[in-house]
Amino acid sequence: MTDERFDALMRDAAHTFRTPPEADFEGMWTEIERRSSATTDQPLRSRWSSARRAWLAIAATLVVGIALGRASMMIGRGSPLRASATPAVVARAPRADSGATFASNPYEAETSRYLGQTAALLASLPSEGKTERGNEQFVARAGDLLTTTRLLLDSPASDDPTMRNLLEDLELVLAQVVRLPNNHSRTELDLINRALEQRDVIPRLRTAVSDNSAN
Amino acid sequence: MSEPDLIARVLAGDRIAARELYDAHSPRVFRLAFRLTGDSALAREFTQDTFVRAFGQLPKFRGDSALSTWLHRITVTVVANAMRKVKRFREREADLEDVHPIGSDGPGVDPVLRERLHRAIADLPEIYRTTVIMHDIEGYTHTEIAEVLGVAEGTCKSRLSQARAQLRAALSDLAPEYDT
Repeated sequence: MTDERFDALMRDAAHTFRTPPEADFEGMWTEIERRSSATTDQPLRSRWSSARRAWLAIAATLVVGIALGRASMMIGRGSPLRASATPAVVARAPRADSGATFASNPYEAETSRYLGQTAALLASLPSEGKTERGNEQFVARAGDLLTTTRLLLDSPASDDPTMRNLLEDLELVLAQVVRLPNNHSRTELDLINRALEQRDVIPRLRTAVSDNSAN
Repeated sequence: MSEPDLIARVLAGDRIAARELYDAHSPRVFRLAFRLTGDSALAREFTQDTFVRAFGQLPKFRGDSALSTWLHRITVTVVANAMRKVKRFREREADLEDVHPIGSDGPGVDPVLRERLHRAIADLPEIYRTTVIMHDIEGYTHTEIAEVLGVAEGTCKSRLSQARAQLRAALSDLAPEYDT
């Protein structure tokens, strides 16, 4: 084959070899944003604003909890002197004063709610044939719970070693769920289920849910 | 707005700037990914992987090369790694050659010869295929390819020369027929 002939063939190939089809750039961007926000780096979001929102929420919970605690102590004991205890003392008050239970640990209510939601989510792991929209909603919920997990890990809620271990395992599993692609395969689901089984996550989660409910 | 300014805004958490950067570079990244894979679903996935990785690593981007070069380097790496991992890729690729190979018909080229050339390009070893696709199909210069692949320009030229020799050899049985 002559050089000219071969060059002509290659020029033709530039137009005909694997001609790129129309691409859904908008859809790709949506997926890039979702995946980027699911990582700890969060490069596409204002890290400061999301962290600030989260901490403001915790601070607000704390303030409301302390206020309720003070109020209940005043009502229960009728002593203005005791009611003036410092917030730190109130926050660690024994649970004998049932009216102050919620106030005694403002993280308990949030932890309890979180554990219930996580148990419900993991109990409904998507099947292979789940619709794209259904999968997106599921992954979005997992993303929210993953954020809460990380906040709780940085809060006094994880002072208890058992709870801390559970939260760390849930963080791992939820991170796997968040990365589930829309057209996920059976293998990807199996990996998540295996992680759940190996770490005995579901039974521990149920125990924690019941313990928190009992409190 | 200059590219360094855009990058600075992305690093400051500006999502609009991130979208601008994506809009500016995604068509070329997708195009390259598709040419390398021949599969639109994989090209889409690898384009996403490229940008997720790029945004994650943007703080490490020193600006020694153009942002496009850096992005294309990530694309080639993502594609190469994925192709090595996905064993079924080659079989799938062979099937897809029948689905996507022909674009707008160029004048004066026999379809049989064109098909043979496309298959020969797809069958080249990875380093040669990447070089041929980037240079002859996508129009990158040797300097750009060398930067993207992290090799010397001479290596790039040598690979292209060997790749073309392999392509010609693959078409040699048809040569007498088409040289007339």
